[in-house]
Amino acid sequence: MAIFTFKGGVHPDDGKKLTMNKEIEEYIPKGDMVYPLNQHIGAPAVPVVKRGDRVLVGEKIAEAGGFISANIHSSVSGKVIAIEPRLTVNGNKVESIVIENDNLYEEIDYSLNTKPLEEMYREDVIEVIKEAGIVGMGGAGFPTHVKLSPKNEQDIDTIIVNGAECEPYLTSDYRRMIEEPEKIIVGLKIIINLFENARGIIAVEDNKPKAIKKLREMLKNEENITLNVMKTKYPQGAERQLIYANTGRYINSKMLPADAGCIVQNVDTVISIYEAVIMGRPLISRVVTVSGDCIQEPKNYIVRIGTNMRELVEASGGFSVDPGKTIAGGPMMGKALYSLEVPVTKGTSALIAFKNDEVSENEIGNCIKCGRCINTCPSHVMPYKLMNLAYAGKMEEFVKNDGMECCECGCCSYICPAKRPLTQTIASARKSILAKGKK
Amino acid sequence: MNENLTRISAAPHIRDKHSTTGIMGDVIIALMPAAIFGIYNFGIHAYLLIIVCMLSCMFFEAITQRIFKKPVTVRDLSAALTGLLLALNLPPEFPVWMAILGSAFAIIVVKQMFGGLGHNFMNPALAARCFLMMSFVGPMTRFTYDGITSATPLAVLKNGGEVDLLTMFLGTHGGTIGETSAAALLIGALYLLFKRVIDIRIPFVYIGTFFVCILVYALTAGEMNINDALYFSGAHICGGGLILGAFFMATDYVTSPITNGGKIIYGIILGALTFILRIYGGSAEGVSYAIIISNLLVPLIETVTVPKTFGKGAEKLSLSDNMGRLRKKDKKDKESIGKVVFAIFVICIISGLLLGAVYKITKAPIDEAAQREREASYNVVFPEAASYEMIDDVSMDDINLKISELGYSGSEVDELLYALDENKNIMGYVFIITNSEGYSGDIQMAVGVDKDGTVTGLSMLAISETKGLGMEAKDDPSFAEQYIGKNVESFEVIKQGETEENQILAISGATITTNAITNAVNAALGIAEYLTGGGAHE
Repeated sequence: MAIFTFKGGVHPDDGKKLTMNKEIEEYIPKGDMVYPLNQHIGAPAVPVVKRGDRVLVGEKIAEAGGFISANIHSSVSGKVIAIEPRLTVNGNKVESIVIENDNLYEEIDYSLNTKPLEEMYREDVIEVIKEAGIVGMGGAGFPTHVKLSPKNEQDIDTIIVNGAECEPYLTSDYRRMIEEPEKIIVGLKIIINLFENARGIIAVEDNKPKAIKKLREMLKNEENITLNVMKTKYPQGAERQLIYANTGRYINSKMLPADAGCIVQNVDTVISIYEAVIMGRPLISRVVTVSGDCIQEPKNYIVRIGTNMRELVEASGGFSVDPGKTIAGGPMMGKALYSLEVPVTKGTSALIAFKNDEVSENEIGNCIKCGRCINTCPSHVMPYKLMNLAYAGKMEEFVKNDGMECCECGCCSYICPAKRPLTQTIASARKSILAKGKK
Repeated sequence: MNENLTRISAAPHIRDKHSTTGIMGDVIIALMPAAIFGIYNFGIHAYLLIIVCMLSCMFFEAITQRIFKKPVTVRDLSAALTGLLLALNLPPEFPVWMAILGSAFAIIVVKQMFGGLGHNFMNPALAARCFLMMSFVGPMTRFTYDGITSATPLAVLKNGGEVDLLTMFLGTHGGTIGETSAAALLIGALYLLFKRVIDIRIPFVYIGTFFVCILVYALTAGEMNINDALYFSGAHICGGGLILGAFFMATDYVTSPITNGGKIIYGIILGALTFILRIYGGSAEGVSYAIIISNLLVPLIETVTVPKTFGKGAEKLSLSDNMGRLRKKDKKDKESIGKVVFAIFVICIISGLLLGAVYKITKAPIDEAAQREREASYNVVFPEAASYEMIDDVSMDDINLKISELGYSGSEVDELLYALDENKNIMGYVFIITNSEGYSGDIQMAVGVDKDGTVTGLSMLAISETKGLGMEAKDDPSFAEQYIGKNVESFEVIKQGETEENQILAISGATITTNAITNAVNAALGIAEYLTGGGAHE
């Protein structure tokens, strides 16, 4: 069997054994819930509740603020106590709806949100997904209903479920594949049926044998869905690399996956689609891995969106020592936190705490031109050169050298023996160029 | 809970275990077999040189960085590595103070002046070696082995001698401290490849290109059969620091191309340059110069070998090409390797043939020039004569038989002439005589002897002894003067002390050369006496 992979990438210590055999536990939040209005790419959502309103579990509290935007639902029952800027994982304050949790968990009637599948047209399914506020849950947060409505609908021939989970320490997708594979398969079928010519691929890295075995068994009689086992390598789950590994098609920064006939969905997103379409449940919870060598009892939780991060750390027994670094998301692309007073959002896949901070412990040295950054770069650009150009402020040359093709996966910074901040420098140059372009 | 969450940085938050220090350390470890073998092979002075070079490089790095007010980075081991590489490239008896001077040049001039680690455009150790080579030709080319000054196997090869391939592979012969043992170097190279510190491309393409070039040369210009040609090529690969250079110095990150395509082009250039320098250059070695010259081409090579960005030129799908678009993988990656290999092959064959042809074409004029030089030498060794005439009443075979009878075997007369005065009276003889027992093979010389048995002149025609040692026989006129004007039955060589009338003081460090020349002069005296009927000494 062919091994699906791409050229480049790194092999960091995956740390998954801390949580890979821990069943997903439900975490019931105790404190106030915070719902930032921009948990997705695009326009912020617009609140539809006001201070003092009582809301139920699953009730829409904010509405999509544009075409590329998403609804937000309450994940608890309680009273809206504030609509004000609150700290988020990005480190800035964002307008958020704050709900006082009354711990009653009174739910709305989910059955009103959907119809039996047989009775729905394509547009109905997409409407249900849109109403449920589903966005890409791998981190980027692209609204799913937009992704599922490409201009070239006829050209979509491949729906890929991204089960790579190449980020170290993360096991949320893995646990979902083991515990709820039927939801993934049905969710995938729902998407396939939206497109005339589509087939399905579930792509999993070969370090997840249990998930592979389970899925293979379940897919035995599925003609239209294949299971692709990919080489374990970071960033195998990056969209462009994933598409290349599974279809041999290239896309660049100016293209969307749909331009290569593909739609890629994260495991958690597919399950959310299943829950929305079959059960009528909006996106109000997700799986979060709480892990790292500084966490007493690393675990996988199903967490209600809006839950305070501190509660998750406490539920896991707290920190063993003062953490050297705390990260929302995986260690390769996640965001470092300076406060735990931030809510879990739709894109929060993990909370990782390390005793030691490998970044500040390492001194930055001169580039010795070893070429490791070039050999690991999945975008096949020349990170050391881009970094020099970014430092020199030569932005035109930066673009000419394909600096905009960087996917900020972090491989170059990870591998650099001189510990140079390659990704970081390139990422900030890209940001400033993108910001200029928008003006 | 009282956590301190103040450490913030942009992703990624983890780092690979490799560090600059670790990489430098790995290369030092990989050089240990060669260094230890060098010490075993050459003794305590080699050990001293290694230690001195490493310490002085680190010292110069620290002191320069201190003066330039930069952070002192001696602990990254890059200076220690430069010192080790420099030491391994020095002859085992090299004076310590010169080694320190070389270290200073490597670190201060080549490395720190250009911005320190990562900014030097030439390999510091090799640049220092070339600097020492130009400054101190004698000590840099004096190779002793087991206490005897000896030529390196490559020098022997260059002068048409024969070498033992197994000795060369194991390294029990003369040369620089670290270059002699291909076996020890390959152990280190395997370690580096295994630890993925170096990439196989540069050494593989370098040695491969060199091998093809030298093989083609041996088969065409060298007119060898296939077995000899392979043996010759093998000896060239094991000798003269090619392995050391290819695996440890051409692969230096800073001064080699960073792109994978560039590494292949770089290897080809290195192989071809080394071949040209070794076969057609002045010295038997070629690796050091080939590498530092190629170092200068690196920026150019890098600009033409930029890798293709992922997804560059990818096209959006449309309904029209809906059918044939599944798994349209880019096959170029695999094809290009084959193309490059083919290109290397063709380049090597063409350059080999070209050089062979040049050799053939220039051979006749070179022979003519040699003949003219011989004729000119008659005048030098017998200036009083008005004309010279080839002796044809005695056969050369008889003369050479007589020489071995006299006990001067090893010398052979190539030409024998009468030196005539204006009235065509015989004044004496001019011998063009070759002794085959020189240190690096044949020494051809012209000797003039008058009828009394007095040596009238001595001039070296073809000699390729060790520079600074045996070569002094030609380069230092006072050596030949020891023979001239003397009327003795035969000369004898002494190594030191006051010389008597019939004694010749050996050139220091080149007794073999002196013996060979004296043997030839004695043979000439013997034949002169034989021809004049022994009248001179009665």
